[in-house]
Amino acid sequence: MMVEPVYATLVWAVPYLGAGLMALLYLAGVRREAAYTLTSAASLLLAALLATIVGYDVLSSGRPVLHEFTWIDGLGVKVSTYVDGLSAVMIMLVSWLSFLIGVYSIGYMKGDWGLPRYFFFFTFFVGSMLLVVSADNLLLLFIGWEGTGLASYALIGHWYTDEEEYWVGVPGRKALGVPMYFEPSHSGLRAILFTRVGDIGMLIGMAAMYLLTGSLSIHQIAAEAPVWMATLAKYHLLQLVLLLFTMGALAKSAQFPFHEWLVTAMTGPTPVSALIHAATMVKAGIYLVLRFAPIFYYGAINAPGPLHDIVVHDTYQYFTIVAGLGAITAFMMATMAIVSNEFKLILAFSTASQIGYMFLAAGAAGMLVEEANTLAFSAGVLSGLSHLMSHAVFKAALFLISGWAIHVVHSRFIDKMGDFAKYMKVTAIAMWLAGLSLMGIPPLSGFFSKELTLKAAEEAHLEWGFLLGAVTALLTALYTSRLIVRVFHMPPYEKPHHEPHEAPPIMLVPYTIMALTALALGLYWPGVASFLAKAGELTAAGSLTLRVEPAELEVHLTGTVAAILVGAIAMIALVWLLYKWINVNFRALLAQHASLKALHDFLFDRWYINAIIYIVIVYGFAGIAMFLAGVDFGIDWFYHTALIAVFGAFSYATRALHRGRPEYIVSLYLYLAGLAMLLAYLLWR
Amino acid sequence: MAYTLPFPALWTAVLLPILVGIAAWLSKPSTRSAVDGFAALSGVVLAYPAALLAALYARGLLASGTLDPLYASYRGLGTIALAIDGLSGPVVLGVSIVTAAVALYSVKYMTVRIEEMLEEGEKAPGMGTYFLLYNMFAAAMLGLAMATNLVEFYIFLELTLIPSFLLIAYWGYGDRKRISLLYFVWTHIGAALLLVGILYYGIRLGSFDYLTVPALKPVGSVESILGAAAKTVALLMIAGLFVKMAVFGVHMWLPYAHAEAPTPISALLSPNLIGLAGYAYARFVIPSFPGILGDWRNYLVALGLTTIIYGGLVALTQRDFKRFLAYSSVSQMGYMLLGLATLTYIGVAGAIFHYLVHAIGKAILFMTAGIFITQLHGLRDIQSMGGLARRYPLTAALALYGFMHLVGMPPTTGLWSEWMIIVGAYKVYSASQLSLAALAAALLVALVVSGAYSFITMRRIFYGQPRSERAREASEDRDVLVWSTLALLVVGFVLFLASAPLINSLLRVSQAVVPWG
Repeated sequence: MMVEPVYATLVWAVPYLGAGLMALLYLAGVRREAAYTLTSAASLLLAALLATIVGYDVLSSGRPVLHEFTWIDGLGVKVSTYVDGLSAVMIMLVSWLSFLIGVYSIGYMKGDWGLPRYFFFFTFFVGSMLLVVSADNLLLLFIGWEGTGLASYALIGHWYTDEEEYWVGVPGRKALGVPMYFEPSHSGLRAILFTRVGDIGMLIGMAAMYLLTGSLSIHQIAAEAPVWMATLAKYHLLQLVLLLFTMGALAKSAQFPFHEWLVTAMTGPTPVSALIHAATMVKAGIYLVLRFAPIFYYGAINAPGPLHDIVVHDTYQYFTIVAGLGAITAFMMATMAIVSNEFKLILAFSTASQIGYMFLAAGAAGMLVEEANTLAFSAGVLSGLSHLMSHAVFKAALFLISGWAIHVVHSRFIDKMGDFAKYMKVTAIAMWLAGLSLMGIPPLSGFFSKELTLKAAEEAHLEWGFLLGAVTALLTALYTSRLIVRVFHMPPYEKPHHEPHEAPPIMLVPYTIMALTALALGLYWPGVASFLAKAGELTAAGSLTLRVEPAELEVHLTGTVAAILVGAIAMIALVWLLYKWINVNFRALLAQHASLKALHDFLFDRWYINAIIYIVIVYGFAGIAMFLAGVDFGIDWFYHTALIAVFGAFSYATRALHRGRPEYIVSLYLYLAGLAMLLAYLLWR
Repeated sequence: MAYTLPFPALWTAVLLPILVGIAAWLSKPSTRSAVDGFAALSGVVLAYPAALLAALYARGLLASGTLDPLYASYRGLGTIALAIDGLSGPVVLGVSIVTAAVALYSVKYMTVRIEEMLEEGEKAPGMGTYFLLYNMFAAAMLGLAMATNLVEFYIFLELTLIPSFLLIAYWGYGDRKRISLLYFVWTHIGAALLLVGILYYGIRLGSFDYLTVPALKPVGSVESILGAAAKTVALLMIAGLFVKMAVFGVHMWLPYAHAEAPTPISALLSPNLIGLAGYAYARFVIPSFPGILGDWRNYLVALGLTTIIYGGLVALTQRDFKRFLAYSSVSQMGYMLLGLATLTYIGVAGAIFHYLVHAIGKAILFMTAGIFITQLHGLRDIQSMGGLARRYPLTAALALYGFMHLVGMPPTTGLWSEWMIIVGAYKVYSASQLSLAALAAALLVALVVSGAYSFITMRRIFYGQPRSERAREASEDRDVLVWSTLALLVVGFVLFLASAPLINSLLRVSQAVVPWG
C-alpha cells in the first residue's frame, strides 16, 4: 500500500486541529457536551486510523516515511515527521490507547463542569505525545514535549477548586513537618515544575548538539554522533552533556530523583492518570531514551582515533548511571506501593517502578558499548520497548478500573473498597488479567517483557541492577496481589456509603479490551517478538540498525527466570494466606510494634524524599526570597529615604529658591551638574 | 544595500498617532461614540507599522533594511533618518501590536478610572488629553526603534519620558504625585548618563550616527578613536541604559512606577519602554565597544543571571498583582541582558526577540490585572483572590498564556527566545566542565524560578477557593477589556507559528552586529 507522506504529519496534526476547533467552539459560546466529546473522539479516532495506516505501511514496506517542510530556517527548525520502526510502534500504541481512554472519558466526565476544558487538553495532550514520538527535529520534538507538560499540568489540576475529595494523600498527615496531602492545583504545579527542571537540562544538551552539528535533525545528529561526541569528550564535557540532555527524560518519566511529581498527579480525573501513565507523558521520557541510546551507542563505538577509548568510557559511565537510576527507581517505588492505601496511588508507584525497568534495560544495553556487542545492545533496547508496550496496555486497563472503583464508592482509599468480585464479575476478571500481567505471571505479556529487561541487565553484567530488578519483581507481585485481594475479595475495612455495581459499557468495554489485549500479547508473544524485531530492523542511528533475531526477544525458562517466577507466585500465595485465611490485623500489628510502625511510616511517607525536597529546596528558596525581599527593602530605603533625606536637608538651606518638591528637584540639579562637569572634564582632557 | 521606500511611510508611522492624539485633545471628546472613535483610530494608526512590516516581508525587504526617503544630514550631527531592519523589526512589531491593542483596551479602562477619580473628588483630565499623551508615548517608542542617530534617539527617548510621566501623574494610583516624580527623576538619571556618553561620542566622532545612511550598516567599533575614554563612555552608556532597563541594583523605581501607573500604561511601560534599552544596547553599544564588552562579559552575564533570579524571587513575595508583574519585568530584563552579554549573534538575536515575547506576554498579564481592577472594584491584592478561574475562565486562559511567554513554553514565541539565549550562553561557556556546570546550574535556577513564580502566582490567583467576598461574587464580563486582550493572544499565537521571517532577518542582522560570535 502506498501512503502519502503527509499522513505522517497528520497523525499528530489532527488532534491539534481538534483541540483548536474546541477552543473556537468555546469562544463561540457552544456549551453542549456532545460538541466537545464528539470532536475529541473523532479526532482521536482519525489520528489512530492514520497512525495505523502509516505504521502498517512502514513496517510492511520496510521503508520509513519522512514528511518535512521548513519552518524557521535560520534556526534549523523544520516541521519534519519521520516514522521509522520505533516511531511506528509508538504512534499506533499511543493513538489507540488514547482513543480508548478518550471513549472511557466520555462516560467518566459526563456532567463535569470543566468538560470542554478537559477534552481540549486531553486532545492537545495526545497530539503533543504523537508529535514527540514522530518528530525528527529536536525543537519540534521539544514543542510536543512541552505540550505534554502543559496538558498534564492542566489535567492534573483539572479540579482546581481543590475540594478535599480530589486530594491525594491522607488529609492532615505530615512527614518531618511537611504536609503529605496535595490539592489538585498543588499537584499540577508540582508536575510542571519538576519536569521543568529536567527540560532545562534537556535544552542545554540540545544546544550542545545543535552547535556541534549545525543541525536539529535527529537523523543528522545521529549520523554525526561519532564526531560531536568525540569533540565533547575532548573537552571532558561528554558525560555532563549527555546527562543534562537525559535529565529531561528522567523528569518526564518520573525517575529518581524527579519521581515525586508523578505520585501526586493522582488528583486529576482518573482517565487522565491512565493517559499519563500508559500512553503519554511518562512514556515520552523513556521514548527519548530509546531513541537516543542507539545514537550514543553508535557515536561511541565509531568515535574516531585516539579519542575512541575516552568516548566509549564516558558513554559507558553515562549508561551505567541511567541503568542505575532505573534500577533504584524500580525498587524504591515498589517498596512504597506495598503500604499505600489509595488505589490510584498504588498504581502510580507501580508506574514509576515499571518505567524503572525500562530505563534499566536501555541503560544496561548501552553499557554493552564497552564490548561493542551490537546484537545484545539492540536486544536490550527492544526489550525496553517491549516492556513499554506491554506496560502501556495493562497499566491503562488498571487505571481505568481504578477510575470505576473510585467512582463507585466515592472514595480513593482502598479501606472503603471490598468484595468487588461479588458485584462486578467482568471487572474482576479484567483486573486479574491486568494485575497478573503487572506481576509478571505467564502467559500475560508483562511476564515476557519484564524478563527481557532483566535479561538486558544480566547481559551487561550489572549484577546489582539485576538483583534490584528481581527483588522488585517479587515486591510487585506482593503489592499488586494485596491490592486485588483487598479490593475484590475481602470485605471493606470501612463500610462505603454506596453499594458497588458493575460499570456501564462505555467504561467497561475499554478496559476489558485492554486487559484482553494484555493476555493476547502474551499468548502470541512469538508474534510480538517478530513484530518488535521488524520494528528494530527499521530503527536506525547512523549506519547502525537495531537488528536482532526474533528468537532473541523470546523468553526461555532458565533457572533464574523460574526462580523469579516461583518467588512471585509465592508472594501471591502469601498475600492470599495472610489476608484471606489468617486475616492478619495489620493495623493492630503496627500499633503494637514501634519498629514496624517506623518502617511503615518510612515507606508510607515515600522515604521522606518529598519532605527533604521541600525542606531543602522549596522552603530554602522561599527563605531566600524572603531574604531578598528584605534586601530589596534596604535598597528602596537607601534610594528613597536615606538619599532623599540627605538631599532634603541640603535643600532646606536653599528652600527659598524653589517651589514644589525641592528635595527631588535639587537632587536632580546637583546630579546634572555633576554629569556636566564629568563631560567637561572628558572633553577638556 | 538598504531599500529606500518610495514614500515616507516610517515618518508617517510616527507622526500619524501624534496627529490623531492632537485631534483628540482639541476636540475634547465627551460622548461615548467620540471616545470610541478616537480609540479605534488610534488602534488603526498604531497597528499600521505592523502591517508595514508584513508588507516589507512580503517583498523580501526585512533583512536588508528599509529606509525612509526623508532624511537630512547636518555637519557635526550626522544624518537624521528612520529605518527598519531585522534588528528593529521585532521591536517595532512589539510596540505596534501592543500599543494598538491597548488603545482599544484603554477606552473602557480609562473611562472607569476617570469616573472613579471623580467619585473620590479628584478632577482628572479627560479622554482627549489621555489619547494625546498615549499616542505621543506610543509614537515616540516607534521612533526610538527606528532611529539611526544618537541625537534623534535621545530626543525620542525624552518624548517617551514626558508623556509617560504625565500619564502616571494624572491617572495613576496611590501616591501618584510622588511616584510620578520618582519615575521622572530616575529615568532622567538614566537618560542623563546616557546623554553624557552620547555627547562625548558624537563630539569626538564628529557625527552621532550609529547606522550609516543609506547603507544601514553599523558604524562599528569606536574604541580606538575614543582611546582611553572609551571605557568611561561605554560605562556611561551602559549605566544609563541599565537604569532604564531596571537591572538589579538600579531597578528600584520600576516597582513603584509600573505598579501605580494606570494599567494600560503599565502594559506599555513594563514590556515596551524598558526593553527598548536592551534594544539600544544591541543597536549601538555592542557595535561601538566590542572589545570592552568582551572584557566585561563574565560580569555582565552574571549581572543578567542575578537580575533574573533576584527579580523572580522578590516577585514571589509580592502581594500586589501589579507590583508582582513589575518585579517579573525586572526578571525578564535579566534574560535580555543575558542574551546581549553573551556577545554571540544568536544570543543577541534571542535577546531582541525576547523583547517581542515579553511585550506580548507582559502586556497580556497587565491587561488581565486591569480586568480585575475594573470589574472587581480595584481588586489587586493576590491574597484576596483565589478561585478566579471558575469565575473568570477566559481571563484565566489569557493569563496562563501570558505566563507561558515568561516561562518560554510553546505555543508561545517565548520558546524561540529562550532557545536562542540558551544556545548563545552555551556557546560561550562550553570550554570546560566547570564553566558548563556553572552555567547549567545558573540557568537551571533562573529558569525554574521563572516557572515557579509564574505557576505559583497562577495558582494563587486563579485556583483553590476565593479568599475574599469580592472574589467569591465575581463574574466575568466579556467586554472590550477581555476581547482586546484576547486579540493580543491571537496575535501571539500567530506569531509563534509565523516567526520565521522575523527570526531569519533578525539572525542575519545580528550577525552584522556581532560578526565575531
